[in-house]
Amino acid sequence: METAVTSALDPLRSDVAVDPNAIEKNLAELWRASKEVADEALTRAALWNVVAHTCSQATHTQASEVLGRASATVPQRTIVVRSEPAAPPQIESWIGANCHLVGGGKQVCSEEIAIVAGGDRIHRVPPLVNALLIPDMPVAVWWVGDLPNEHEEYVLALLEPADRLIVDSVNFDSPADLMLVDRVSAKTTTTPADLNWVRLEEWRQATASIFDPPDMRSRLETIRRVRVVAGTSGSDYFGESVEALLYSAWMSAQLGHHVDAQAKVEGPRGVIDYVIERRRQEKSVGDIAFVEIRFDDGSCASISRDREKGVLVSTVDGVVSMPDAVTRAIAANLDELIVRQLKRARGDQVLLKVLPVASRLARRVAG
Amino acid sequence: MSVAAPAQALAPNPLREGLEQERVPDASCLVIFGASGDLTGRKLLPALYSLAHDGLLPAGQTIVGFARPDYSDDAFRMAMREACDKFARTRPVDDAVWENFAKGLFYVQGDFGDAQAYARLNQKLQECDRTRGTSGRRIYYLAVPPQFFPVISELLGAEKMVTDPESGGPFTRVIIEKPFGHDLQSAKELNRVAVTTFRERQVFRIDHYLGKETVQNLLVLRFANGIFEPFWNRQYIDHVQFTVAESIGVEKRGGYYESAGVSRDIIQNHMLQLVSLIAMEPPVAFEADPVRDEKVKVLRALREFPKGHEQENAVRGQYSDGSVLGEKAIAYRKEPNVSPDSNVETYAAMKIYVDNWRWADVPFYIRSGKRLPKRVTDISIHFRPAPYPLWKKVRGVQTMPNVLAIRIQPDEGISLKFDSKVPGPSVRTAPVTMEFRYATSFGAEPPEAYERLLLETMLGDSTLFARRDEVETAWAWLDPLLAAWASDARGPDLYPAGSWGPESADVLIERDGRKWRRP
Repeated sequence: METAVTSALDPLRSDVAVDPNAIEKNLAELWRASKEVADEALTRAALWNVVAHTCSQATHTQASEVLGRASATVPQRTIVVRSEPAAPPQIESWIGANCHLVGGGKQVCSEEIAIVAGGDRIHRVPPLVNALLIPDMPVAVWWVGDLPNEHEEYVLALLEPADRLIVDSVNFDSPADLMLVDRVSAKTTTTPADLNWVRLEEWRQATASIFDPPDMRSRLETIRRVRVVAGTSGSDYFGESVEALLYSAWMSAQLGHHVDAQAKVEGPRGVIDYVIERRRQEKSVGDIAFVEIRFDDGSCASISRDREKGVLVSTVDGVVSMPDAVTRAIAANLDELIVRQLKRARGDQVLLKVLPVASRLARRVAG
Repeated sequence: MSVAAPAQALAPNPLREGLEQERVPDASCLVIFGASGDLTGRKLLPALYSLAHDGLLPAGQTIVGFARPDYSDDAFRMAMREACDKFARTRPVDDAVWENFAKGLFYVQGDFGDAQAYARLNQKLQECDRTRGTSGRRIYYLAVPPQFFPVISELLGAEKMVTDPESGGPFTRVIIEKPFGHDLQSAKELNRVAVTTFRERQVFRIDHYLGKETVQNLLVLRFANGIFEPFWNRQYIDHVQFTVAESIGVEKRGGYYESAGVSRDIIQNHMLQLVSLIAMEPPVAFEADPVRDEKVKVLRALREFPKGHEQENAVRGQYSDGSVLGEKAIAYRKEPNVSPDSNVETYAAMKIYVDNWRWADVPFYIRSGKRLPKRVTDISIHFRPAPYPLWKKVRGVQTMPNVLAIRIQPDEGISLKFDSKVPGPSVRTAPVTMEFRYATSFGAEPPEAYERLLLETMLGDSTLFARRDEVETAWAWLDPLLAAWASDARGPDLYPAGSWGPESADVLIERDGRKWRRP
């Protein structure tokens, strides 16, 4: 249990040569030195190798801070890579540690390695990262920002040792990014994970709760129309409607609907109309704002967000009498999303079903 | 019993796949008898609220408090809100979640023996069926002393508030709190009463230890890992120690404790559950009856206390004046509602054997007590030493047996102690420890035991509940010792509050050339 969190990165930071053996040796010295100065017992812990891929100073800093905080909950060896093809050809590295106080005055520390590469030196990054991974420990690659689908080879090289690829599809600029993630899943042993999918969980939970009562279960077959409203900034940036797209794809995949190449959806009783609408809003751009599910008999169920109360409210009208349900909105800041991803021991099999459907349905958004 | 048309099995909700809340029960009316009591406010309502907070309760889940004090629904809600503010795991209480949760919270005033009160209760439940979609599903939680169980059970039956599971109609389940009797005879009587109104599979006997994550992890540790089970037997294990220690005294429970003592309060239930989980054979499936079948086999294999020599392998103690964690602590006999010449044991230690192929002649040392130096529940598996002392002629080398320690509470985790070479030119060894801690590895507060157990009841899974034969077999084993102690005028050995128990407990293990592990 964490009682307090301290970031000890700066005092423990030191520059090291870009050689995996030298880095490991310096890490060992760092631990020995910090054990000597620590008043209380210090434990070195790791459950994951997390490699954050960034492409600017700003995203590097962001990833380092997010993973530093995340290591309080999920101890990890963090490797933050900054890869800038347009920068001068050089490569450098430094190490540090993120320490957190746990119960009984003990400190648990996780280590962080930073690698910055520019120009053609970026191709030295994947083997270097490979050599720095703790053996027998799962590897997550967090791709910060948009996927460079035009550099698929570089992406795949970095993903070679990865068990999980973490992306945030809210940053995707085109359906091609979504398709690339789907290809990673199909062609490699890396399981994709999407922070946008984690954001969607509260909507999935609220939707599932509508169909929990036995009377409602049979109505799943009678769905005629699913309308999902995405909150957007007013632009037509693809990423802003991906959460709504994933929701539609999830409903369709879980209910066994058939989605053809033209994004036409058919269920057991005929065509089902999936509508993704954009609504301009100031806050929470990219989030789903409202869902409406219509049934054969004209009745409908809806889910809306009550921002003030921090909950989603589900309402069902028509033949079934059931009280409104509330689902607690889940914190959607980056720290929380990353932690929730890393806490999952295995890849999300439902997302794997959803991705190809989403790629097909993407025509409805992009087109 | 009322009979309804058989219901068709319903396919699982496909939209639940992959969600953290993969299993959500059907909405039911949960009636808490004794809703004005301590357990309801401290444990049950906070646990139910936390389930709602985590999205694990279905829309329409209804909770009806039933007790003697005259509350309105609103007054009951207010009292329960205060309780959740103080005791819920998920604090601060989320207003929006509470508001919705409280809509399903009702109160019916009545005496446990008043038939008319049951009619009023039934009316309220039927109203909830109409307005909240609970469709006749009922769970009765008897948070009351065992003497009320027969009358509540009888009146529920008389008012036709219990559905026979054979009818295929909506479920009815009943939850009973320990103590499940005072001895074998009273346990049998309680169980007999239960099955006049309910079938055994409708009865959920709560032993909250079984709801603890770490206790459940015992089965995962043993049966989900390939490396432990081959060594989990008399060939490799020298002995096993169990410690359930509390630093507190009897507090306000002096009256109850005078009729119970640590053997009835802890050993007959919590401790023997832990022994069963450590000693059981792999079940054929992780389901209620296969798991409980294996547990009960362990209890049946416990070696009987030899007639006339029941106390040979058992020690009882009682705390005297002392200090715990720097605070003065008074003797048990000076506690409120405790007789000044009480012989009730606040500490017990035993050497017991599980007489079967796996454990033949492996001693299990168990101890439990109040006013010990700290609150801790710990199991340690002590392995046999290496077969040949390779370094016996080398000075500085003294190898120690390996110990696998399982910490149930607090600071839950597992550690393995083994010897390692001390770096340097000469051969010297030192014990080192490899540790797994829940808090470090998972960084999450595990749910309260009651949350898990209430949810399992709603889902109808009785794996984590004690079965009738488990309870009766445990009593059948313990009864002769309790009878021997009751007729022994010497009384318990005194130990100062804040110590690890009476000296006789140390003698019990040290005469075998072993020592209690400091947990």
